[in-house]
Amino acid sequence: MKALRFAAGVALAGLLAAPALAQTKSVAITQIVEHPALDAARKGVQDELAAAGFTEGQNLKWSFESAQGNPATAAQIAKKFVGDRPDVIVAIATPSAQAVAANTKDIPLVFSAVTDPVGAKLVASLDKPGGNVTGTSDLLPMDQHVGLIRQLLPNAKRVGILFNPGEANSVTSVKQFTDAAKAQGITVVEGAASKSGDVLAAARSLVGKVDAIYVPTDNTVVSAFEAVVKVGTDAKLPVVAGDTDSVKRGAVAALGFDYYDVGRQTGKMVAAILKGGKPADIPVETVKKADLYLNAKTAPAMGVTLPDALLQQAKEVVK
Amino acid sequence: MIAVEDIKVTFNAGTVLETRALRGVSLAIPESQFVTIIGSNGAGKSTLLSALAGEVIPGEGSIAIGGTDVTRWPTERRAGLVARVFQDPMAGTCADLSIEENLALAAARGGRRGLGAALPRALREEFRERLARLGLGLERRLGDKMALLSGGQRQAVSLVMAALRPMKLLLLDEHTAALDPKTAAFVLDLTRQIVEEGRLTALMVTHSMRQALDIGDRTVMLHEGRVVFDVADERRRGLDVPDLLALFEQARREKLSDDALLLA
Amino acid sequence: MSLFAFLGAVEVGLIFALVALAVYLSFRVLQFPDLTVDGSFPLGAAVAATLIVTGVDAYLATLAAFAAGAAAGLVTAWLNVRLKILHLLASILTMIALYSINLRIMGRPNVALLGEQTVFTPFAELPWPGYVTTPLALGAAVVAVMLALNWYLGTGSGLALRATGANPRMARAQGIDTDRATLLGMALSNGLVGLAGALFAQSQGAADVTLGVGVIVVGLAAVIGGEAVIPPKVVWLATLGCLVGSILYRLAVALALNSEFIGLQAQDLNLITAVLVGAALVLPGVQRKFGRAIGRGRAP
Repeated sequence: MKALRFAAGVALAGLLAAPALAQTKSVAITQIVEHPALDAARKGVQDELAAAGFTEGQNLKWSFESAQGNPATAAQIAKKFVGDRPDVIVAIATPSAQAVAANTKDIPLVFSAVTDPVGAKLVASLDKPGGNVTGTSDLLPMDQHVGLIRQLLPNAKRVGILFNPGEANSVTSVKQFTDAAKAQGITVVEGAASKSGDVLAAARSLVGKVDAIYVPTDNTVVSAFEAVVKVGTDAKLPVVAGDTDSVKRGAVAALGFDYYDVGRQTGKMVAAILKGGKPADIPVETVKKADLYLNAKTAPAMGVTLPDALLQQAKEVVK
Repeated sequence: MIAVEDIKVTFNAGTVLETRALRGVSLAIPESQFVTIIGSNGAGKSTLLSALAGEVIPGEGSIAIGGTDVTRWPTERRAGLVARVFQDPMAGTCADLSIEENLALAAARGGRRGLGAALPRALREEFRERLARLGLGLERRLGDKMALLSGGQRQAVSLVMAALRPMKLLLLDEHTAALDPKTAAFVLDLTRQIVEEGRLTALMVTHSMRQALDIGDRTVMLHEGRVVFDVADERRRGLDVPDLLALFEQARREKLSDDALLLA
Repeated sequence: MSLFAFLGAVEVGLIFALVALAVYLSFRVLQFPDLTVDGSFPLGAAVAATLIVTGVDAYLATLAAFAAGAAAGLVTAWLNVRLKILHLLASILTMIALYSINLRIMGRPNVALLGEQTVFTPFAELPWPGYVTTPLALGAAVVAVMLALNWYLGTGSGLALRATGANPRMARAQGIDTDRATLLGMALSNGLVGLAGALFAQSQGAADVTLGVGVIVVGLAAVIGGEAVIPPKVVWLATLGCLVGSILYRLAVALALNSEFIGLQAQDLNLITAVLVGAALVLPGVQRKFGRAIGRGRAP
């Protein structure tokens, strides 16, 4: 009798303890559109959480929805997630983040790949977010990018920039690039493309007007990057990119970061919140590490010699 | 009083497809006269009606209704003066609207369409009354969609619609041509009734010489865009179809060869 | 499905019900295929957001959004009526132009409204949760719009609009200025869409230049779906169908998002929309066939 009661007691304790021990946390990810960089960020979050001890299927419930570019869908995804009350919602890109922020003031929201969180009214300030929202900003250190161009072409006076005026991130990037360029004595010429089919023409419009072309992390232009490379090689116009994948596709140089790394940085913040942290106290982070990627094959085709100093600094040189 | 002065209508002027539909037509129609218009295909009958209605603006000439020069007025501006019944029952009504909605549209012809209700009770009563006189039972089906009616029923309603509000001219464009003989006779009878009751000035285009003589006070024949003959009152009463043919040959010095016109 | 997601679907459904009513007005009543809505929806959002951020009262800003949408509709109608451009093409021209215009109005592609005073802010201060009061308030507003539209289509002016679409030649023969009717109808239709855009931006935290993508498809799906559920025998049934169709569409989306067992995701929404609209188009015919088979059907 006593043994039975004891066994029952242990079993009961075990049952009660089990959920407490293997407490499943839930993380819901909403993405505005599927796209290599954004997908890489998502993977980064997932991997970082695994590294921090949260594995899907064991102690992590993981949901993911993409709005396929449709804002109304993003709104409904936000509402679904808020209704499900996960422990953390991760939003990739500005519209998805805003949709979630509009629907909840208490569920922790961590955004990723939002260039201007203050402008998007997601946080009050970068140091003290102050609400339920924090995250990582993919703001590019533009002064370093301008510096890179000057290292490649010391005599450059005018630089063209290709972007889609309809992408919020790009508009911010262009403004910052232009400010940084002005500070270093370079004028900027804009080339606008509102859809990927327009990129070729926009690139061509810069020929003869500039000494180099810079492509920020603009979804539209990056999706048609080969067209820009073609113009660059035909017109002997060096193309410098803001994201490192583009170097493999033909850009001479890029000082960028991997969106996967951004994802992992975001993942760290998510893990911190899952372990008890509060978004209000976690400052918004910008990407610190910038890697230099060079392409030794396209450099001569675009009329540029890669200085040794740069070749030594580079993380990777494409031959 | 309708005064048509030497109107000329040419379609596709200056191109290979140029058609001189009316080459100088003049007509003076006194009040309350019922005129029938006949002619072979391409004679210009429909074009004449379209010019009177405002759907076609003549290149030359003038049209005056009740003393007002309406030559350049578009259809919607003339609607207060001119009512029209089309050959195609579908063309003259809105198939997707109900009978009473169609009547309501006709009741506002020539008037202001504001924010007042389109179908107040008093108006519905008037419609019920007018439709009851047709003897078709339509007064009990005011809410039915127009599309549910047969061709004959629709033409009957079109006639009621046309006569709902005052007009200076009633245009009837071969309005029985699409109907079977029995229904055609019914509609023709109704037409006679309505025109007589209202002492309306009416112009009826018909393809049948028989019909042209049996109804109305005056018959005008068009051929190749011109008036070929014009008979009324006494002179007309004694005429029969062969006489019309003879008149035509006399006027044009050619034989009439339009089968449809001859056999109707 | 959580209550929050359900009410959220109702909320979005109500906002897009305005779009459905607008599409009913243009496509069905005026017989004017109008793609302007893909431009007038973000236009309403842009105007309202830009005004609110500069301190204008949210209700006034929303009214301005209605006016802006109406102006866009007028442009399309004018292109068709005066310049004789085919209605579909005229609407595409306006839609394309509006993309640039919207960017100009906002000054940038995204104007955030989080934390600003919107038309929904007063409801957040009530004792009940926002996710309940917002759909209720929206419901009242949208029903009011629907009733107003029903009333208008029953007036002399409204009947003239219906005749313009049903049989323009006959309408002119009855003295209706079909050009003016078209201008008025298109202005009203796109005004409603601008209003919807303004409400959407305020409820979702931002006006974004990409808001317009696919709005016409959603509007059509709502109208057609509504007609399948509620046969539009008279005007008030047709407008009610717009409301019901829009909400049902959003509930279907929410269901797709919440049904992990079916394995559907948001990516599949386009397919779901196509299937829904297809079913809605076929269903009435199937119903009629069965009705006839059982002997209850009415002869066509």
